[in-house]
Amino acid sequence: MHKINRWIAVIVIVLGVGLPMLPQIIWSFAFRWLFPSLLPTEWSMSSWEYAFSPSSRVVEGFMNSMEIAVFVCFLSILVGLPAARAIAMYDFKGKGFIEWLLMVPIIVPGIVSTLGIHQVFIRLQLTNTFIGVSLVHLIPCIPYMVLVMSSVFANYGTELEDTARTLGASPIRVFFSVTLPGILPGLMVATMFTFLISWGQYITTALIGGGTIVTLPLVLFPFITGINYSNAAAISLIFVAPAILVLILISRQLGQDSAVMGGFGRL
Amino acid sequence: MNRLKLIEKLRVPLMIFPAFAIVVVLFGGGMISGLGQSVGYFPVIGLNEFTLDYYAEVLSDPGFLESLWLTFRLAFLSTLFSSILAVLFALVLRHSFRGSRLLTFIYQIPIPIPHLVVATGIVLLVSQSGLLSRGAVNLGLTQTPRDFPVMVFDQPGVAIQLTFLWKEVPFIGIVVLAILKSIGPQYEEIARTLGANSWQRFRYILLPLIMPGILSSSIIVFAFVFANYEIPLLLGVRYPTTLPVMAYRSYQDPDLGLRPQAMAISIILAIVAILLLVAYRRLARYAVKA
Amino acid sequence: MVQPKRSKLILLFSILSLLLLLTNIGLFAQEEEGELLGEVPGFESWADVLAAAEGTTVTWWMWGGSDTINTNVDTDIGARVQELYGITLNRVPNGAELFVDQVLNEAAAGVDVGTIDLMWINGENFRTLSEAELLYGPWSESIPNARYVDWTDPALAFDFGYPVNGYESPWGHAQFVMEYNTALVGEEAPTTFEDLTAWIEANPGLFTYPALPDFTGSVFVRHVFYWVAGGPEPFLGEFDQAVFDEYAPAVWEYLNSIEPNLWRNGETYPEAAIMDSMLANQEIAFSMGYGPSDAATNILQGIYPETIRTFVFDTGTISNNNFVAIPFNSPNPAGAMVVANYILSEEFQLKLVDPEGWGWLSPISPAMYSEEFQAAVAAMELHPATLSPEVLAAAALPEPNGDWVTAIEAGWIANVLEK
Repeated sequence: MHKINRWIAVIVIVLGVGLPMLPQIIWSFAFRWLFPSLLPTEWSMSSWEYAFSPSSRVVEGFMNSMEIAVFVCFLSILVGLPAARAIAMYDFKGKGFIEWLLMVPIIVPGIVSTLGIHQVFIRLQLTNTFIGVSLVHLIPCIPYMVLVMSSVFANYGTELEDTARTLGASPIRVFFSVTLPGILPGLMVATMFTFLISWGQYITTALIGGGTIVTLPLVLFPFITGINYSNAAAISLIFVAPAILVLILISRQLGQDSAVMGGFGRL
Repeated sequence: MNRLKLIEKLRVPLMIFPAFAIVVVLFGGGMISGLGQSVGYFPVIGLNEFTLDYYAEVLSDPGFLESLWLTFRLAFLSTLFSSILAVLFALVLRHSFRGSRLLTFIYQIPIPIPHLVVATGIVLLVSQSGLLSRGAVNLGLTQTPRDFPVMVFDQPGVAIQLTFLWKEVPFIGIVVLAILKSIGPQYEEIARTLGANSWQRFRYILLPLIMPGILSSSIIVFAFVFANYEIPLLLGVRYPTTLPVMAYRSYQDPDLGLRPQAMAISIILAIVAILLLVAYRRLARYAVKA
Repeated sequence: MVQPKRSKLILLFSILSLLLLLTNIGLFAQEEEGELLGEVPGFESWADVLAAAEGTTVTWWMWGGSDTINTNVDTDIGARVQELYGITLNRVPNGAELFVDQVLNEAAAGVDVGTIDLMWINGENFRTLSEAELLYGPWSESIPNARYVDWTDPALAFDFGYPVNGYESPWGHAQFVMEYNTALVGEEAPTTFEDLTAWIEANPGLFTYPALPDFTGSVFVRHVFYWVAGGPEPFLGEFDQAVFDEYAPAVWEYLNSIEPNLWRNGETYPEAAIMDSMLANQEIAFSMGYGPSDAATNILQGIYPETIRTFVFDTGTISNNNFVAIPFNSPNPAGAMVVANYILSEEFQLKLVDPEGWGWLSPISPAMYSEEFQAAVAAMELHPATLSPEVLAAAALPEPNGDWVTAIEAGWIANVLEK
């Protein structure tokens, strides 16, 4: 019984995950691939050559996206961690309201806020700046960071911290030596979500970045709706690669620590 | 003594403040402009008077209810199916068997892949001239693209559903899997020795434990699909379509006079989403307690 | 004897030096940089514009979905304006849906010095920004190379029926063509609406057009209006509801009558973005668009099979022009104008029309340029999938005023899509 289930799972998962990705992987190396050919009739590396040429701005976009995403992760932890801890470990008036408030960026459709956010940023003189783009990426990341980490903190006992403090450790020491190791698995997951959200931002970067800061999605997305599948595929693969790498790095954390995923397990 | 009390009092607000400030000032401030446009304040094109006309127009449009229903149906079915599939996969993957680590990793691959890239892949796979269709031709089952079943740009929205499932099943799945792995087999063992069959073991032991996880992750999935315009826009029929797509089309129209309408649709959408999610959460809490 | 020779030498030497000096300060310059033909806001002379542009960056927002256009802009325009004028061209892949918002938001926030210098803009968005008074100008009739532009041509004086009035400068010329797969249709294409209709009825499921208000679908329906009315004349002036009501019912009836024989039985109409790949993969037998050489380009890039060809209707097809415009708050209008001016130059237009270069059509008639240009153009070999400029020119029809387009799009949605 178990064996049949397992084999079904293997087939469904491997085919289900692999098949939708297969055409694009092949397309990145294809020159001519028309119905009804199962494989390209003519192959070519020209899309990859284009992707790495200066005109494509792919390499530039990749670097910018990476710098911004890493910085956003840092900011997200800085801002989200205390908030998550407060929500998880303290009861205060208006807590429910705050929790829903922090979810709002996920619920409200982008077009409502994008124009206004752009105007706010213009007034704050944050447009065309690295920090401005990072801040606008931070907005949708906060709900996820707070959601995940508040659950981690909910299942977290402060005994070790209290002990360390009574032994005379400074708050900073307590954080790095006691707290951080304790919440690390969940923190890695939350940081991955933050990275992915920032990595994939398009319209916000276009407006706030003002063309001064070109990220990978800005280069990629016009190709996705274009007719040259080969170019779109090559750039898509470059776009997806770091994300998969991040997944490999923390794959162990996902699906293992229940406190981590409890963040989604908190009602 | 007083200073300590002050610090204590300020502690929680200070911890919340940065996150709160960013969401309220930056996002909330941004929403004000959209809200303003929805009630007629759009000075750049000369609209300056408060009016609820745009909301009235949207709500009285005969296609509105149909689009709202389509939006709800898509979000509901996506959430339902991905939850069920996620649980099924989690039940298998929670055991350690040869290759289970690798399989679990493959299972998680969809998570970092952006929806637009997935949508392109699905079209290349299931369209009438896609890879599966070409397979059918080469196997002699079909001859022209028209012989292959329709799965994209179709009323039922099969490709749309597949795209969302592909992304959301692993998302809910890892939550459920995490909980199952941490539970351990003891409770089920006891239950089995007491004579419970597998369905009973699942229903009375496992389900209550994974319910909170399912419900919270499905709230995010529902909210996301409900507000998503890109996938139905790319893979669906032109008409009738979901509310987010309607809002997006109005927004993108060169006629800026249609923007207030786009804002009105979006805000109605957000309000409906919040109401549904609040109800869902209440229901879930009640179900868990029972 | 010696002294007169020496003084003659000195004289000769002085004259030569003077000539050299004068050449260096441009009075006898080989490349005549030209002069302003009229006024531009903020600058007295073209020399001032060139001086202000020297060493600056021009930020150009344009759709970034074509690798060939991206590379061509960088090498044929970007590299050259760097060499000739010291301008660094910053091409940003953000298209119309983004730059309209950018300019709008900057205006709403009172930003006087913005981020965009140049935009590759189309008719409807040009109208949007013009009406909101968010464009710099007028300038385009005053730049030196504007002398090549035939501003009396309605297709250049009006963009989608909206007066250009010097607020945008031409870049390329476009004309609507139908693409078809000879493997499914045969060598001869149905070049009249009657023949096309007959073909559709005999071959159900292989024809469709993009859902309006997509501009390709929209122009297709405009051709139906022209056909029903026997020509474009009724629609060329200001919008007239009575005239519209006279012809629209017949158009909706026609489109509804062919609907059951269309792709997917007409239950839905595709987005323009996938029509080309459906044509390539034999899901449909016809596609359409504003680029007469797009089919050839696609064949050469492996996107289309070699069996694709193009045709125009016997009754003609609509043509229009691509333009570039400058936002009201451009930080570098001088640089933008220099780039736009270069685009109109003979040197660049030659690359534009070269099938081995851009493969576009030029908004400027070859007769305006030198004889070398005309000879070079005449010698160019077109791909078999591209119709000749003569055929296209003979078939060219004007666009109607923008208000007609709005009415047609709304009418189609109400009467054909939502049935």
